[in-house]
Amino acid sequence: MTTFDRALRGIRSDLRAHLLSVFSVGVAFVCLVATLLVVVNVSKVQDRWQSIGRLSVYLRPGTDEKQVTELETALRGTTGIQKVRYLSSESARRELLREDSDEILSGLPEQAFPASLEVETTEPATAERRQRLVTQLGTLPAVESIEGYENYGKKLSSALVSGVSAALVLAFVVLLAVISVVSSTMRLSLQRRRLEIEVLRLVGATDDYVRRPFLVEGLAQGALGALFAIFLVGVLYLLLHGTVFEQFSLLLGVSPSFLPLSLCLGLILSGGCMGIFAAYISLRKILLA
Amino acid sequence: MFPGSAGSSFRPLLRTGNRFDRDAADRPVVVFEDVYKAFRSDSPVLRGFSLTIERGEFVFVTGPSGSGKSTVLKLLYAAENVDQGRILFLGREIGRLGAASIPYLRRNIGVVFQDFKLVDNWTVSENIALPLEVLGLPERLIQRRVGETLERVGLSGRGRDKALALSGGERQRVSVARAIVAEPAMILADEPTGNLDPQLAVDILGLFEDIHATGVTVLFATHDRSLLDIRPRRVIVLDEGRAFDVPKGLEPAAEGAA
Repeated sequence: MTTFDRALRGIRSDLRAHLLSVFSVGVAFVCLVATLLVVVNVSKVQDRWQSIGRLSVYLRPGTDEKQVTELETALRGTTGIQKVRYLSSESARRELLREDSDEILSGLPEQAFPASLEVETTEPATAERRQRLVTQLGTLPAVESIEGYENYGKKLSSALVSGVSAALVLAFVVLLAVISVVSSTMRLSLQRRRLEIEVLRLVGATDDYVRRPFLVEGLAQGALGALFAIFLVGVLYLLLHGTVFEQFSLLLGVSPSFLPLSLCLGLILSGGCMGIFAAYISLRKILLA
Repeated sequence: MFPGSAGSSFRPLLRTGNRFDRDAADRPVVVFEDVYKAFRSDSPVLRGFSLTIERGEFVFVTGPSGSGKSTVLKLLYAAENVDQGRILFLGREIGRLGAASIPYLRRNIGVVFQDFKLVDNWTVSENIALPLEVLGLPERLIQRRVGETLERVGLSGRGRDKALALSGGERQRVSVARAIVAEPAMILADEPTGNLDPQLAVDILGLFEDIHATGVTVLFATHDRSLLDIRPRRVIVLDEGRAFDVPKGLEPAAEGAA
């Protein structure tokens, strides 16, 4: 009988406790999986924003159509600029009110919304290149000011760092939760199978031989718990995919995506390792006794 | 004849690898040398206990409850350590074995208990196969050996039954089967008939005698005087922590005596 067969026999003999353990580990993992999902998508937005640089060139009031066209043509002819779109004061006001129908905003006059040229660059704009472009544009008489959106990038980077930190903290909490849950299950299991262990030792089983199926059981609980959490978050993701994510996509220009396969496999593997570790420390006491 | 269990075919498993120690075959199986053991400092269980058991002997260990019969057996399979003195098993001192070597000592000893120590939710075959699985034998060989052993203990065809479904006598037979299936050098029986009625006790004793007939050394601890009377065997009487050897067995108890 292989170690796997022995572990399977152990799981079958105590199926309910094992299922409860998988469920509890899964619940602990859900928070981590959800956080990672947010981190992955924020990172995607950041990548997108970095890959397509964006500038808003605000024009001075009274800039005529000819000056705008000249400026537009000049910008289109500049290397690295992919798209230029003219946004009149009226269009700017309309777009803003469509996104946010605030009463105060709707009471503002058209002049409060300066006309602008919305510029998208093709390649990831380095800070130096961006600055040069901003300086050049700033010297033009029709240009009042330029918004480079660097602050948004910084905020996203900062959000990403916070997200990763939160994920790390949650990973630690999950580790503790998995250890606690798997250890409790193991202790129960060891209690119920005390006679089996006693007999194994009487017939000459080494500690390693006694330990192995329990480690496999710990691995199964951890890995299945992580898989269950991924499945649960996946189901929620699919439910939200149709409505909420459409808005998300329109707002940020990026379609949300689920965790990559490699990360899912990593989570399952981590769950398994945590399970083995928890089982190992639970068994240590028993085997030392 | 129990397959492969003749005296000449026994190979001590204490040492790993192929280092077969030929001298071990000529040594006594067990030697207790002036052994002391106390669980409470004011009442030692064994006080200068000495005993030698030769290969192929059938020895009864008897004495009143608390006289140390179980302790003698526990010291042999290293469930307890001696306080003083030494115990040699096939020439190796048990007290000097490291924790990692104890499993290999136990693979040479089959133990049968009064309370059977069977895993109830396992089948009879699973219970019996355990020592062979620990040895890492191939599954086919395990199945064959388990089948032969079941036949040997009179439980042919019961391999698939759950241990829980068996009667007391049958459970003890399974326990004996588990003890002999790996062909150990020695069988220790700790009050194996304590939970059985007199007829079943005699049957189980017969089973041990059959096993002994194949060359296995048997150390049978019992306080049941009637079993000692069935056939004259060497008897070790434990009294006040010492062994009193009666090589030809006790005098048969008088008719009607307890």
